[in-house]
Amino acid sequence: MRSRDGNHSFLLSICSIIFFNSLVLSASEYLISYRYVVKDATLYNESLSISKSMQKCNGTPQNALILPTESDTNLKTVIAKNSEEFIDYIHKLNLHVEHNDVTINAQYKSTTILTLKTTCFEVDFNDNFVKIAPLK
Amino acid sequence: MNKVILSSILTALLTTTFVGCAIERSDKPAPTVVQNVTVNKEEKSPQTNQAAQNPTQNEEKVLERNHTITISALGQGVAPMNTTSPAQAYALAKRAAIADAYRIIAEKVKGVRVEGEDTVVNMMIKRSKVRTYVNACIRSASVVETTFKDGLCEVEMEITLSYSQFAQ
Repeated sequence: MRSRDGNHSFLLSICSIIFFNSLVLSASEYLISYRYVVKDATLYNESLSISKSMQKCNGTPQNALILPTESDTNLKTVIAKNSEEFIDYIHKLNLHVEHNDVTINAQYKSTTILTLKTTCFEVDFNDNFVKIAPLK
Repeated sequence: MNKVILSSILTALLTTTFVGCAIERSDKPAPTVVQNVTVNKEEKSPQTNQAAQNPTQNEEKVLERNHTITISALGQGVAPMNTTSPAQAYALAKRAAIADAYRIIAEKVKGVRVEGEDTVVNMMIKRSKVRTYVNACIRSASVVETTFKDGLCEVEMEITLSYSQFAQ
């Protein structure tokens, strides 16, 4: 069976439609939040929370990060293996800065908290890489 | 008669000398003023010629349409004492330095709130407390340079502000 222009077979076009649809459907959404506390110029606490979204997120994917996967399909494992790269990427997103310092009788104490508020990310696993993009 | 002529010549000489000194003095600062204006012109864009004439206005950067302002900050961080390796110490110190740089950028862009409180008992200051705090949201800040020496990590970060980011 041939299509109207006669160049591509009908079967090939159907297969490509199914393939691209499967790619879109395989993208899942994750909620990620990140927070770290610096006290007196020393890192005090750092936490990165990742969980699969139980609701559909709205928005369009923004600047994406591509991380290599070694046939891993668990996002937590992939991020743990590429934590430095991922945290550098997070720093370029919206980070909330909260800083407090108190000087009592010439003694100085400071606390800085950097927070990435819970953000929905579109995560698309492929053969050797994963594409992570925040939805806004 | 000769005395009168001599005295008048002397007076004329003296006046010309003093006037000459005065003219020289008034002329001296002129080149510096011109230099100041030119330096300020270099700092600002060519469109702000009016502002360049007034050096006090030039010191404050104003975000104009179709222009960007780059703000840079140098953050410092120290590694904790209980690190297991130099690599871990570097990573942790870098995090602290980044947070410090973010704080400086927030202070520059948004400003700092300062509260002071002094307690005076029997005409003597018993307790002096100064509290500052910053609350801001920063996007697209980038690390320019990182140095790590003697346990101190310094991170230079910069952020580019454009008019369109604030236009509603």
